[in-house]
Amino acid sequence: MNAVFTIAWRDIRATFASPKGCAIFFFFLGFMGVFFYNFLHTFVELTQRAPMFGGEAPTLEQLLRALFYNLHFILILVIPAVTMSSFSEERRNQTIRLLQTSPITATQIVLGKFLASAAVLALALACSAVYPLFIKVFGNPDGSLILTSYLGIFLLMCAQLAFGLWVSSMTTNQFMAFLFTMFGLFLLLILNWLAPSVNSGGLMETVLKYVASTDHLDMFFKGMLTVSDVTYFVCFAALFLFFTNVVLDSQRWR
Amino acid sequence: MIEVSGLSKRYGAVQALRDVSFKVESGQIVGFLGANGAGKTTTMDIICGCIGADSGSARIAGYDIMEQPLEAKRRLGYLPDVAPLHGEMRVADYVSFAARLHKVPSTRVQQQVTETLERLSLGDVRNRLIGNLSKGYRQRVAFAQAIVHNPEVLVLDEPTEGLDPNQILHVRELIRSLAGQHTIILSSHILSEVQNTCDQIVIIHNGEVVQQGSVAELAGQLQAVRTYRLRVAQNVDQLIESLSTMGHVLSPRVVNSDSCELEFGFSKEANEQLLDDIARMVINGGYGLRGLAAQTRSLEDVFFHITH
Repeated sequence: MNAVFTIAWRDIRATFASPKGCAIFFFFLGFMGVFFYNFLHTFVELTQRAPMFGGEAPTLEQLLRALFYNLHFILILVIPAVTMSSFSEERRNQTIRLLQTSPITATQIVLGKFLASAAVLALALACSAVYPLFIKVFGNPDGSLILTSYLGIFLLMCAQLAFGLWVSSMTTNQFMAFLFTMFGLFLLLILNWLAPSVNSGGLMETVLKYVASTDHLDMFFKGMLTVSDVTYFVCFAALFLFFTNVVLDSQRWR
Repeated sequence: MIEVSGLSKRYGAVQALRDVSFKVESGQIVGFLGANGAGKTTTMDIICGCIGADSGSARIAGYDIMEQPLEAKRRLGYLPDVAPLHGEMRVADYVSFAARLHKVPSTRVQQQVTETLERLSLGDVRNRLIGNLSKGYRQRVAFAQAIVHNPEVLVLDEPTEGLDPNQILHVRELIRSLAGQHTIILSSHILSEVQNTCDQIVIIHNGEVVQQGSVAELAGQLQAVRTYRLRVAQNVDQLIESLSTMGHVLSPRVVNSDSCELEFGFSKEANEQLLDDIARMVINGGYGLRGLAAQTRSLEDVFFHITH
């Protein structure tokens, strides 16, 4: 376990020693701020207009949900940036040899890398909480909804990171790692909408919809924790971490 | 201490290693000699567990690198041909990172890092970023990474590559000072380096071990094949013919036909008397003796001989 933390700590420090760490925070929080401003603006406008036209005013929960669904999109751009270098850069610089010749297992390396990228993004997520907290301070939304939404986003992020690590472990080219991770995650997002056209009403549609990441977030965003959704994200992350482990271990006997 | 037996490795169509076997006793320094692309780095990568072999095994202190990698790697320090340095880290941080990875107890990390940095005269740059250091310093930092946990076995892949002469001397002294407490394999394509630092030499060519033994043994083999250079006034070709018919004279050949120089070797059984006979033949045959000298040969020649 010590080795895992040693590797993770080095990676975290490396992220913040380079402009990369700052850039990730800048874009993540910047985008989120833009969306927040936009949504809030619309929200206020709709609320003011509602009495005039007799419609129903939007709720704060709806505002929060819009914000969190957008986080999903932002993560698709940010996750590949975080994971792309984790293995591919080490392989290109040959620094991976230091890890390979140390008395540690491939699993420890994978967990260390995973922990590092999860920690960096968890910190970014924590910073992004300023927007929902803003609503909480000046409005009266359901507090538990914010918490479950964040838990959902965190689980989604872990699953996406595991996927990104797996892609990164297979290439020595950071750009390729970025590209493939981004497209993979994007596919996962739109699988939900693609499913009906693949096999409308059939078994395949059900399977594809289950694999898609989108639907599993709904419950979290409604303030509910369900075992099936948590299981989905945990299994997803575990599966791809296992794949990464296999890729790394296979280098010893290939 | 290190036992390599029957290693073979194939990269696609290229056979990188073919049945490589050798043994290194505890406390020895072994030079692993070969031209570029001979299979040195591949062998070292396999010994250190970075890549796997198609067949054969490597054992470090009795532990198989594939079967018990953790035990084997605990006793191993590796300096790869490309230094595994993180440019954004400070020297001391990097070395202590390597120490922690190699399971140095956390109470002793600080002390061992300081000792290692002192030993490699890196104390002055301990707080500088590795990315800003010169090549010689970087190589020493990579060295520090390999020895910080005091490994029993040290594998050094071309440790003096790209260093200036002073630094090469320094690294050589360092390797010498490590002898005894550590078992060292050192690869190089530079003979003088191996000759000066190593007890044993393994010569590898095209993925095969072509020669191995102690430096003295290899030097003895050289003496076994004595060569001489002869310069005459005329009729070189005719002289070559008559030399060929003599017993114990090996491969006489013309070196330079303009200056009538030729070269020949003696077999092991030949005694020095034969030289008199040849001299007599040259003089009596009217070739005109202009020069006769024994060729001094170094390891370079053996190397050249073996690999061509």
